[in-house]
Amino acid sequence: MKIGQQQHGAVMLLKPEGPLTEPEVREFSTALRELLLGSMGRVVVEMSAVPFVDSAGLEALLDVSDEQSAGGRSLKLCGINKTVRQVLELTEVDAHFDLYEDVNSAVRSFS
Amino acid sequence: MAHLSWKQIRAWMRCHLFARGERGIATIGIAAAAILLAGVGASGWWMLSCANNAGIESRAEELQTTGVMLARSAEVMLSNNELTALRQLISETGKKLRLTECRIVLKPQQIIADIDPTRINEVHLPATWISEPLAASPATGSGNIILRYPLNVEGRGRAYLQMAGSTSNSLIAWWAAQSGVALIGAAGLGVLLLVYRRNREHLVGMEVIHNALQSYGAGESSPEALGVDPRLGSRAEAWNRMLAELADLRQRVSVARANISGGARRSTATGLESACDAMSHGLILVDETMRVRFANGAASVFLNTRREDLAGADISNLIADEKIRAAIRAITVEKSRRPVTVEMEHQGGSGIGVLRFSIRPARKGDSSAATIVIEDVTQQRMAERARHSFITQVTHELRTPLTNIRLYTETAIDEGESNPASRANCLNIINQESRRLERIVGDMLSVAEVEAGSCTIRKDDVHIDVLCEELRSDYMAQAAEKQIKLEFALPPKMPVVKADRDKIAVALHNLLGNALKYTSNGGKVTVTVDMRDGNLVIEVTDTGIGIRPDEIERIFEKFVRSRDPRVGKIVGTGLGLTLAREVMRLHGGDVVVQSELDRGSTFTASLPLPSEAA
Repeated sequence: MKIGQQQHGAVMLLKPEGPLTEPEVREFSTALRELLLGSMGRVVVEMSAVPFVDSAGLEALLDVSDEQSAGGRSLKLCGINKTVRQVLELTEVDAHFDLYEDVNSAVRSFS
Repeated sequence: MAHLSWKQIRAWMRCHLFARGERGIATIGIAAAAILLAGVGASGWWMLSCANNAGIESRAEELQTTGVMLARSAEVMLSNNELTALRQLISETGKKLRLTECRIVLKPQQIIADIDPTRINEVHLPATWISEPLAASPATGSGNIILRYPLNVEGRGRAYLQMAGSTSNSLIAWWAAQSGVALIGAAGLGVLLLVYRRNREHLVGMEVIHNALQSYGAGESSPEALGVDPRLGSRAEAWNRMLAELADLRQRVSVARANISGGARRSTATGLESACDAMSHGLILVDETMRVRFANGAASVFLNTRREDLAGADISNLIADEKIRAAIRAITVEKSRRPVTVEMEHQGGSGIGVLRFSIRPARKGDSSAATIVIEDVTQQRMAERARHSFITQVTHELRTPLTNIRLYTETAIDEGESNPASRANCLNIINQESRRLERIVGDMLSVAEVEAGSCTIRKDDVHIDVLCEELRSDYMAQAAEKQIKLEFALPPKMPVVKADRDKIAVALHNLLGNALKYTSNGGKVTVTVDMRDGNLVIEVTDTGIGIRPDEIERIFEKFVRSRDPRVGKIVGTGLGLTLAREVMRLHGGDVVVQSELDRGSTFTASLPLPSEAA
């Protein structure tokens, strides 16, 4: 799995490419946690290149979201496709994330 | 050879002895059974042979004993001339003992009594006869015994009792017993082979299942890899069914886990503590001994300390900044009532963050505590900084053309009447400067729109080939003017992407315009379109002045233009690349640059392709 990073002002953008499934989860979680720690939570996960998410991927996202909400924040995801949105809605966990249409609105939500 | 541990030996045995599987074990089992049967047969034969030898010995003894007694009786009977009784005794004894020969001879061929009465050729006992020694008795052959006893008939002569009989009368029984053992062994082996043949399919099935279990033990868990051929019998079918059920269960468990954890996450804790945890600001309560009495979740994030390590910790160990420590001490120890706000730069993994600590007294009775509220103000600080630099730049960028316009307008007014050529020149410059102003304002608006997030992206069908054709026709004249070779390296078939046509066109215009602008006469500019890793990649390569390595990333920032004196001579706003990158990023792509000073640059714009086109 390729995981790209971009800086948008004070906000870091994490861009995983490829399905977020069990073999990939570890690498993704590590990268996300490191970035969150380094930028004190100012991170947006850009999901437009993630075609689908399995239960392990969902667990990883929820774990990070839990850690964030313990610090009064939430995990911001943007650009999720229809499949991933359906997965989040069917498992009724969509409310655990801040979902944005595109990078810009997600980045602006920090200010 | 190094020392072999027991573990290694066991591993070797597992590898080499049992690696052949159940079929191998079955073959070994059958061989072992055959060897066992052969052993049993051999011991049976040995026992029978011993018993047979014992029988022969006892038979010989029996015959010898009887022979001695018979000889003594015959001597007496011959002395008394009791021939009839003697003959009867000989006949009966011979028959009783199953003798082949039992006779009394006076001399060779002169038989006085015999088991077979017809062989008797001396009916009466002569008064005297001359004894003749008999021919030496033939050696006792195998299975036969011949006994000869001399009888002294007083006053008449010497006679002989001759007995011959078989000792191996149990030979047939012995062979029968031997054959019996062999037959039982062969039958046992046959039955074993039959059972093996009948169960071979099951054994193969078991072996395949055994192998699957071994690979499961080695960490393989996918049902496809562990499944076996269902034609291998009912066990294989059952195994496959079990795998399918396991996969189904696993799926259910993972769904249930997701639901449970979702449920756990959904359950909302109540209370003041969870209310504080919901705050995005860090909140810490410090008592008069400078120890943390309470800290919320956000505080642990800002201080990069685990929550459980925060409670009761000395605040001086958690905050390195001396100003903040002093402010806390002033409130808690020195009982000051003055609230203090301190901003601290925090060096994070990705750039600098700014934290604002607001320290206020929280007094109850005599005890003095301090409340510390921590805010992440990085975003605000960066925005302020950006705003400040933006205003400075805008002022500068707008003032230059405006000043020019004002100056040339004044010149035109002053000299216009007397010098029409100068007026025309002035008007021309005013025209150029107002166009520049228009372009700057246009670019600024676009960038501001993108940054404010009010920029919406339409999803048009953008035909890349059409776009490239437009670029070519727009820039052909400009390239020809500077004698720059403008080349387009395009694939034969180009995709149609979903994007905002106008914005993509602006971005590409900016990239190609820059390439032509910063390439000196006689250079070369190449536009390459390619599809790589699910992205549409457009590369604009020039042989221009290049970018200094320390300026490479900065050129994408607003109003940043290279400090290279050659750049200063060329008109530009410092917004084109910012806009190009922002537009591409809005579409999920990016613009990156590779450059070598004085050699040229390559700007690479990437745009994700729809998955079916990739």
